[in-house]
Amino acid sequence: MARVTLDNVTKRYDDVVAVDDMNVEIEDGEFICLVGPSGCGKSTTMETIAGLTKPTEGTITVGETDVTNLPPKDRGVSMVFQNIALFPHMDVYENVSFGLRLRKYDKDEIDRRVEQAAEIVQLEGMLDREPTELSGGQQQRVAIARAIVREPAVFLMDEPLANLDAKLRVHMRTELQRLHKQLDTTIIYVTHDQAEAMTMSDRIAVINAGELQQIAPPLTCYNEPANRFVAGFIGSPSMNFVEGELTETGLVTDHFDLEFDVDGLDLETGSEVTMGVRPEDIYPAATAESLSSSSAVIDATTDVLEPMGDEIFVYLSLEDSQTATMTTEEASSASNQLLMSVDPDSTIEEDERVSVVLDRSKIHLFETRSGDALVHGIEDVTTAARGEATDRRAHAEIDSGGRSE
Amino acid sequence: MGFIDRLRSRTGRRDREDRSERSRTDGQSEEPQTDGQRGELRTDGGSDVRTRGGLSRLKHSDAVQAVPFWLPPALLMGWFVYGAVGWNLLISLTDWSGLSQPDYTNLTLEMYTQMPNDPSFVAAFRNTVVLLVAFTVVSLVIGLVLAILVDQNIRFENTLRTIYLLPMALSFVVTAIFWSWMYNPSTGTINVVLSTIGLDFLTMDWIGDPRTRLAAIIFALTWQFSGYAMVVYLAGLRAIPDSHYEAAKVDGAGSLRMYWRVIVPQLSASTTSAAVVLMVFALKAFDFIFIMFGDNPGRSADILAVMMFRVAFSRTQWAYGAAVATILFLMALSVVAPYLYLQYKRGDL
Repeated sequence: MARVTLDNVTKRYDDVVAVDDMNVEIEDGEFICLVGPSGCGKSTTMETIAGLTKPTEGTITVGETDVTNLPPKDRGVSMVFQNIALFPHMDVYENVSFGLRLRKYDKDEIDRRVEQAAEIVQLEGMLDREPTELSGGQQQRVAIARAIVREPAVFLMDEPLANLDAKLRVHMRTELQRLHKQLDTTIIYVTHDQAEAMTMSDRIAVINAGELQQIAPPLTCYNEPANRFVAGFIGSPSMNFVEGELTETGLVTDHFDLEFDVDGLDLETGSEVTMGVRPEDIYPAATAESLSSSSAVIDATTDVLEPMGDEIFVYLSLEDSQTATMTTEEASSASNQLLMSVDPDSTIEEDERVSVVLDRSKIHLFETRSGDALVHGIEDVTTAARGEATDRRAHAEIDSGGRSE
Repeated sequence: MGFIDRLRSRTGRRDREDRSERSRTDGQSEEPQTDGQRGELRTDGGSDVRTRGGLSRLKHSDAVQAVPFWLPPALLMGWFVYGAVGWNLLISLTDWSGLSQPDYTNLTLEMYTQMPNDPSFVAAFRNTVVLLVAFTVVSLVIGLVLAILVDQNIRFENTLRTIYLLPMALSFVVTAIFWSWMYNPSTGTINVVLSTIGLDFLTMDWIGDPRTRLAAIIFALTWQFSGYAMVVYLAGLRAIPDSHYEAAKVDGAGSLRMYWRVIVPQLSASTTSAAVVLMVFALKAFDFIFIMFGDNPGRSADILAVMMFRVAFSRTQWAYGAAVATILFLMALSVVAPYLYLQYKRGDL
């Protein structure tokens, strides 16, 4: 068990910067997810921690030791790989005990540890099987056993569930959480799946284009995203964004206006501001009485419905003319579309005129140019003091490279 | 009813299931209909249903249907390869020599029984085995080392690969002449280089001296074929995912142990296939030695292939030559057969 600290870690390949000045402090026993789209540098970051890649600049500390120049085997880390990477010429026992055998542990100790690890991952009685005789889930368990048998200070997991089918993935997710509780070891987990990150981790580190965007507990990332990228990446389906311009009385967009007190914002009128609101924070006007602070009514036409069982996703077109059907991704980024989630019992039809309102306490404002978050919840802005507090916090998160309390 | 039963027992399980289902649902009512359909099919133009069925089954079997595809090559191979092998075996059992015609009436194993007492055969057999083993092992080791080096994401990788593989594309005739120049005691590159760098005491008449002759041949053949082993190993290495290297490193293996315990064991398929090809080449090294030394390279470098040629075509001891050829054939078979069996068991054939 150990803390892991990354100080100004940068990795360049020729002229590509894979990891750009990364500063992360991972607490002892923490389960942290590095999450981001493919090619964002999250795997490279993990490889620098594992020692498989040497950072161009910066230092990495595991526990009290500066491991930047140590080979992987002396770092006290173990790793689980996306493609599982069991050695096909060894049976399960040999695979699990490989690291211990290399380190010349005596036979009894190896047997004891392998049995223990097999018990933790529920592989008893399979030690003499060949990897090819195991199912995908069992293979992944062997890989995890191989990692825990060495009793490492830090576990590194590089998308370990990505190759499993959807159902098994959800099951293994729970198992990994149980494992973390049982072992209480620092786990650094790389994934591109924000749902995995949300459900498992103590904190999420959102990475984009080699840069750390935000590192915070999952709900903080969800409710108070540091910038537009985090807001769009965390949460499924993703947040709606509408671009607009700041006026003296609020925000003006192509299709609707939001009124709020702009004094709390540190921006001049005329600045470009993007409004973000999650699908679940848009309500049909008829059911909006429960909201403490709802926005003005917005008129829209329903486009496509996606019933999910526990909710229905409704694509709203803000323009009168019908636009072509869009995917979730396109809809969330197109300014004339909103994605709304409604109660499954709602009687809502396609191509129907509806009036919707937004929950003002859940509206996020971002500076369009930089993407930085301005405020989370515009009802706060009306009270200047609270508004400034939120404002400062949002900025603090960004300035400190994402550390949040 | 008897007819239906016969049909059913022949057409297998699916029909049986079919029938049990039918009898469960409505007993006999559908039976005549089925009977009629089957009968119509089978009795098409014939009266004796039983023989007709057997014949038509034969006619519709895969083997018969595929005759145009397998028969011509089977005939050609059968006659020119297996027929020749058989004929050779037959000749080896006679005592045919000189210009007379072979006499097939008195077949004995005499040619084979005299082999252990023939010092020339013993030497050739020993050399063949030495060449086979030493050449294969050395080529594989050099090939493996080269493959691992070339696999390190080095620059000019493709160029190097081509350079290493190129000698294999050359004919034995070219390489034999080339190496006989290289080995020339006074003007050959090897001795010239050795004396230039002050290693005069190492210079010797490489292919003249019986002590170094076989080693010199093995060295030259290794030069020619280790590139092939490299290419096979390189393909094997490329098939191993990067994460296996990484997993081994994180688990605590240094480079040497990583290759020895994780990577090389995974190359067993490459090793087998490269070894088989190399061994077959070693058995066929006739051209190389024949070009270098003619049909009598002396006991220190004689191999069975050269001996076979010499005995049969220079001394016209046809029967003895055929016997040597049979031994050579059995050696090649003992190399290839286990490999084919392995492939068969793995399901690759």
